[in-house]
Amino acid sequence: MSEFEPKIVGFFCNWCTFTAADLAGTSRLSYPSNIKIIRMMCSGMVDPKYVLKAFLNGADGVLIGGCWPGDCHYINGNLKARRRVAMLTEILKEYGIDEQRFWLRWIAASEGTMLRDVANEMTDKLKQLGPSPFNLSSNRKDLTAMGGL
Amino acid sequence: MSERIGFYICHCGINIAYRVRVEEIAAYASTFPGVVIARDYLFMCSDPGQELIETDIKKHDLTRVVVASCSPRMHEKTFRSACARGGLNPYYAFHMVCVREHGSWVTEDEDEATQKARVLVRAGLKRVSFQESLIPSEFSVNSNTLVVGGGIAGMQAAIDIASSGFKAYLVEKEPTVGGHMLQYDKAFPTLDCTACIGTPKMVAVGQDKNVELKSYCEVEDVAGFVGNFSVTVNNKARYIKTNCTGCGDCSKVCPVDFPNEWDVNTQMRKAIYLSFPQAVPVRYVIDKKSPAPCRTSCPAGTNVQGYVQMVKIGNYQQALNIIMERLPLPGVLGRVCPHPCEIDCRRGLVDSPVSIRDLKRFAADNANLADVPLAEVKEIDKKIAVIGSGPAGLTVAYYLRRKGFAVSIFESMEQPGGMLRTGIPDYRLPPAILDQEIDYILSTGVELKTGVALGRDFTLASLKDDGFEAIFLGIGAHVPVKMNIENEDVDGVLDAVLFLRKENLERAGSAKKRVVVIGGGNVAMDAARVAVRSGANFVSVVYRRSLKEMPADHEEIEGAREEGIEFINLAGPKKIVMDGDRLVGIECIKNELGPADDSGRRRPVPVEGSEFLIECDMIIPAIGQRVETAPVLKDTPFDLTAWGTFIVDPDTMETSEPGVFAAGDAVTGPATVVEAIAGGHKVVTAIGRYLNREMALFEEERKQPKIAPLKNEFMPIPEDAQLMARAKSAFVDPSERKFSFDEVDLGLCEESAQREAQKCINCSGCCECKLCVDQCKAGAIDHDMKDERQVIDVGSIIIATGFDPLDPTPMLQYGYGKYANVFTNLEFERLSNATGPTLGKLLKRDLKDPMVFTDPPKSVAILHCIGSRDINFHEYCSRTCCMYALKYAHLLKDKCGHDTLVYNFYIDMRCFGKGYEEFYKKVQSEGVRMIRGKVGLITEDESGMLTVLAEDTLSNKMVEIEVEMAILCTAMEPRSNAGDVMRKFGIGIGSDGFFQEEHPKLAPVSTPSSGVFLAGACQGPKDIPDTVAQAKGAAAECLALSAKGEVEVPPMISFIDPDVCVGCQVCIGLCPYTAIEFDQFNLVSEVNYAVCKGCGSCAGHCPSGAAKVRHFTDRQVFAEIDGLLLN
Repeated sequence: MSEFEPKIVGFFCNWCTFTAADLAGTSRLSYPSNIKIIRMMCSGMVDPKYVLKAFLNGADGVLIGGCWPGDCHYINGNLKARRRVAMLTEILKEYGIDEQRFWLRWIAASEGTMLRDVANEMTDKLKQLGPSPFNLSSNRKDLTAMGGL
Repeated sequence: MSERIGFYICHCGINIAYRVRVEEIAAYASTFPGVVIARDYLFMCSDPGQELIETDIKKHDLTRVVVASCSPRMHEKTFRSACARGGLNPYYAFHMVCVREHGSWVTEDEDEATQKARVLVRAGLKRVSFQESLIPSEFSVNSNTLVVGGGIAGMQAAIDIASSGFKAYLVEKEPTVGGHMLQYDKAFPTLDCTACIGTPKMVAVGQDKNVELKSYCEVEDVAGFVGNFSVTVNNKARYIKTNCTGCGDCSKVCPVDFPNEWDVNTQMRKAIYLSFPQAVPVRYVIDKKSPAPCRTSCPAGTNVQGYVQMVKIGNYQQALNIIMERLPLPGVLGRVCPHPCEIDCRRGLVDSPVSIRDLKRFAADNANLADVPLAEVKEIDKKIAVIGSGPAGLTVAYYLRRKGFAVSIFESMEQPGGMLRTGIPDYRLPPAILDQEIDYILSTGVELKTGVALGRDFTLASLKDDGFEAIFLGIGAHVPVKMNIENEDVDGVLDAVLFLRKENLERAGSAKKRVVVIGGGNVAMDAARVAVRSGANFVSVVYRRSLKEMPADHEEIEGAREEGIEFINLAGPKKIVMDGDRLVGIECIKNELGPADDSGRRRPVPVEGSEFLIECDMIIPAIGQRVETAPVLKDTPFDLTAWGTFIVDPDTMETSEPGVFAAGDAVTGPATVVEAIAGGHKVVTAIGRYLNREMALFEEERKQPKIAPLKNEFMPIPEDAQLMARAKSAFVDPSERKFSFDEVDLGLCEESAQREAQKCINCSGCCECKLCVDQCKAGAIDHDMKDERQVIDVGSIIIATGFDPLDPTPMLQYGYGKYANVFTNLEFERLSNATGPTLGKLLKRDLKDPMVFTDPPKSVAILHCIGSRDINFHEYCSRTCCMYALKYAHLLKDKCGHDTLVYNFYIDMRCFGKGYEEFYKKVQSEGVRMIRGKVGLITEDESGMLTVLAEDTLSNKMVEIEVEMAILCTAMEPRSNAGDVMRKFGIGIGSDGFFQEEHPKLAPVSTPSSGVFLAGACQGPKDIPDTVAQAKGAAAECLALSAKGEVEVPPMISFIDPDVCVGCQVCIGLCPYTAIEFDQFNLVSEVNYAVCKGCGSCAGHCPSGAAKVRHFTDRQVFAEIDGLLLN
């Protein structure tokens, strides 16, 4: 059986982390393809619903990328994201989603290398953790492997 | 109608196609529901690529278009326009998927990259069908431009904008425009004089009617959006009005010197200065920092720094004038003040605090009170009664008299002075000094009545009847506090207050042979030392705590000790022992120190059974005084504190009786002279206002928000400050002075006073001696000027804030700052510049004094790449150093003679610009030695000769070369405040710390903030030609906005669905731009579309889902998530 490949959804702020991802590209820094990016205008725009939706649809991890505190393009959206993430982490735990699956990271536009490092680190972590309990496709595969279904 | 989607994937030459199998993706897309056409193409962004989209829209009736190519930050606009040309609303129809930066470029495996592209494409195809038509709003553009930074970039941009007929505001934080370019001497490769080509630009920005030059200003806040910025600037107080003629008479008299920043500290300037002779505007500026700690710690707020500087330059009269602004008794305070100023003096951080009190006394002793200038005032026909002629009363009388009021002092004793006369012994404060200063106060027209006591000879009511409109009670605290022990009232026990009064006034010689003084304050010391002088053979001081806690001044304790007085610490009086009716001793008990009490001192606890007897025939308790209120209360029922002092309003010092004010010991209890004077000053303000019926002003002041605590921004302590011993005045020998009431402290001599005054580091910059004010014929100096905030409306902004030169001090191997003749490039430029410290001569530094220059060097090493191309500092190349290093080599040969040996230590020569390579050849032909290798170490011998050690990488040998001078070509660094500027203007910073342009090739002056542009070295190291070119580019961008007159603002902003909104108003608090208002009629929240920027703080939180950001709605994002995670 091939190695488990986690699915990660990244909600990236257009002004920092998304640009950092562009920079990682122009600098040809390679990182695992597990992470797929959705462009947001601000980390403060990430509705908890989006995170829940991603997990319900089978994401193994969600990464929100925002500007460093004090550097938000919209004054303080990143701080709102931080509060929201703190609350949401608790809620996700109730549903059995480990807090290590839901990351918030500050990655400035110039930090392409940091983006690569975070992508590597998160993929490795999720590989250790295994599929999310909501990742039905993986469950099904596991069950198949065990001779069920 | 079902969607008809067109899908296009770009090869980007091979950039995408080398990892992503684009045909496979196109084939996959064609199977997707709704996709009617799916193509792959070599360059989608090319004209034919765009045309492909346009024709397909028409030919295939496309409703939606998805392009998979580079980052949307790059070409989203391009394809949106193509869709618009095809007749579709671009926001409705178009979505861009990034498969290059997020795909082919970051994924090594082809299968993996193709799979990732497939998933991303799927998400884009899912999303696009949910997009809605949006129409960007148009706003008019304010045609003014703000240019931040007055270096060559800023000046050029402002001139270009002005020459097209639009207005430019040029904001410069320094007092002059010009920037680094004007600090240089010559500009490579043509060697034209920078002043000759730079000053015309300076004059132009100073004179052009379309340029509003705002020098010594800083941008504090930026609000608004492209075309409509509202910028708050702070006009820093310059203290010089616009009518300054630049004559420079003021700086000739200024006593305060600082290193000149413009000359990178190679020569001094005054506190009132012009950066350099060609400065624009030609307007001096006064360098003021936070008020000096000596001034703020003085209860009376005396301008200490001012008079210390006057002593330094020998203008003792002006020193006295400055003291008399706040202290009416300079000679008195110069002797008895406990000098809290010296505790806070920052010179103490170097060696020891300046002997401020002694300098005050020196000024008072060496200048004439009669020559203190008094402003001419109109006599005011209002009478004020001052009761008591102590320091508080004299202060109130003198300063109210200076305002023109008619003041009468009523004194119960025969001579004026209060405690100064009766309490302070003559050997500390000679009565002649006191008399002289009181006489001066009286000479200004203050009336004095002595021997008249309140309650005996007059009452408050009788004063009012006599026409006194305001009354000041400065009656002091003259009543002894009792010890409350057995036999306290017997003959032989005499309180210190009464003892001192008797000795001071009558010189009675009333001390007995064996005296015990109880107490540890200054009064106790005075009593003990007076007892020695009035007949006692042996005096002991009994104090209940240890020596460390003793409140008396250190010098008083020392003086007492020298005069043979015995200290018995940790002991308290228990009872007075009598033999019949003769006093024979005092029984004391030993104490030990317990826990600290409210005053923070450890409380004495008596030790049971440790009583002991001290034989004596006289006991002088000195444990405190209280106010004698009985005669006052007889007349009027004043409110008193539990300690028997008057209760007064802390701001107005008014007692419970309207029109009656109090200060000094009568309010504070026994305290210092300077505190009494401080209280007196408050009363002066209050009585002035009271009589002018302006007491409401106090209420207004109280209502005003408390100003944030003053930032302590003092002048830095000079690093080369020499350690100097504190000046000590001469004291009369103890054996001599013991029997005399003559003054013990003889004061400082002139030489030591001036040397002591030189120790002052001028914490607050300008010392406010105001000599400049008298000197300025134009009357342009206003020391009370305040910072002023101004709001400027502009449509576009150019940031041209320049760079900082790297400080090479941390690179210890080069010895910069340690070896006299290791220079930085900017220091060398100043030497070479005709307005610099050597007037253009290239000279070595004196080994002892860094501001003295001697003779031309015979050999010089020029070190390239100091901090550039160095992973420990900056990886980037600073782009200018190779060229200016060549320029220096040429200038050295030119100015110091062709036999001067010049060595260039370089890594690579980068002579890339027009005429640069030719210049390199020319300099080489002048005999300059070029050594390829970086210098590893510089050492200095006793004669100041430097040895430079490097590897010559061409001959693979180590070289050791002796030179007389070394020049470090330091890196250009981002400004230290780049982070603040970044936040203020909403722009980005790259990994090198410089501001990030929007695109390195195609948008080199734009930033992510629309309407904000970059010019010059703030964007990255560059030389003058590149800087000017970029400034012109930035100006063109601004002019494009101004000329068009309107601007489209992206329509991706919030809206709140009124059918869904429940009116909880949470979004209103979350919105960082206050763009949401509550509609009171419909009870829903509403977005103001002109203000909203679309951050989505509201949408991310809205509990009912009513708030959404257009183009980022739930359906759209959910569809994208669905697409990403579909199995």
